[in-house]
Amino acid sequence: MSDKPKFVYVIYIASTPEKVFAALTDPDQTEQYWFGFRVGANGKVGAPRTVRNPAGVDFPNGVILESDPPRRLAYTWPPHTDQTNHERPSRVTFDIDVIKGQVRLTIVHDDFDAGSKVFEGISQGWPAVLSSLKSFLETGRVPEPGWCEPAVQVDRVRA
Amino acid sequence: MSEGRSSFVYVTYIRTTPEKLWRALIEPEFTRQFWCETVQDCDWKVGATWKLMIPDGRVGDAGEVLEFDPPRHLALSWQNQFTELRAEGHSRLTYTLEPQQDMVKLTVTHEMPHPDSKFIEKVSGGWPIILSSLKSLLETGESLESTRRWPEGM
Repeated sequence: MSDKPKFVYVIYIASTPEKVFAALTDPDQTEQYWFGFRVGANGKVGAPRTVRNPAGVDFPNGVILESDPPRRLAYTWPPHTDQTNHERPSRVTFDIDVIKGQVRLTIVHDDFDAGSKVFEGISQGWPAVLSSLKSFLETGRVPEPGWCEPAVQVDRVRA
Repeated sequence: MSEGRSSFVYVTYIRTTPEKLWRALIEPEFTRQFWCETVQDCDWKVGATWKLMIPDGRVGDAGEVLEFDPPRHLALSWQNQFTELRAEGHSRLTYTLEPQQDMVKLTVTHEMPHPDSKFIEKVSGGWPIILSSLKSLLETGESLESTRRWPEGM
């Protein structure tokens, strides 16, 4: 095993690649399922990836590294807490396929240095965000506020 | 992955109750829908023999119940039966259910006590679609279509 952390998660969603891609990149949609965070990533390669937390505070911009709607998206993920600001930006990559009639969404979050604190946080956060995304797309409903405080707190600390 | 072992860990959050999720994990009327028509043949108590039955009558996997604490925690020993992966011996599967408001956090851990397990590599490819389908079934009433039938030729 390499000592560089890498997070991988796969989730299957009864939806279309277009809808999944839009839900991942449109801040009006992320606000509904991503703990109230507005995440904008619908620009071209080199454009910023923006994040505004529920209190209205903007996080440092990431950069869109790859954008091939509705199949692939990659952006940088800068740290944004006093505890993690010494870390360099990591990388998030989404791949969207259709397998036997369902969308398979694969997320890889990597390019961390060994011992990264950001990695610890995102490993808790992504399963909650992606579970909520699946509920949002399949049912139109999202969890009640505060349903996943440990994961949310990881993000709030960054604000 | 810890040194000397192989492990797969998956966390998903499902809008349901621990009691309903527990039933869905063990009762045939649910597993048939999200787990490719399989059913588990088991008395559901510690020490009981556990078998995962394929629809054509073959035993897919077998082991025994190691821990049984409804609706919070279930652990099984688990050995593949119908492929060459049987040679790897017994793995350990655990389900942990934790309520969080209107959701349940489900953690599935599948471990083999040796490194570089092909068995764990294989199940790592399978669990995400089964657990995604379980979440769909409990939240929408419909499992994911491709998990409603045992795969042809397998």
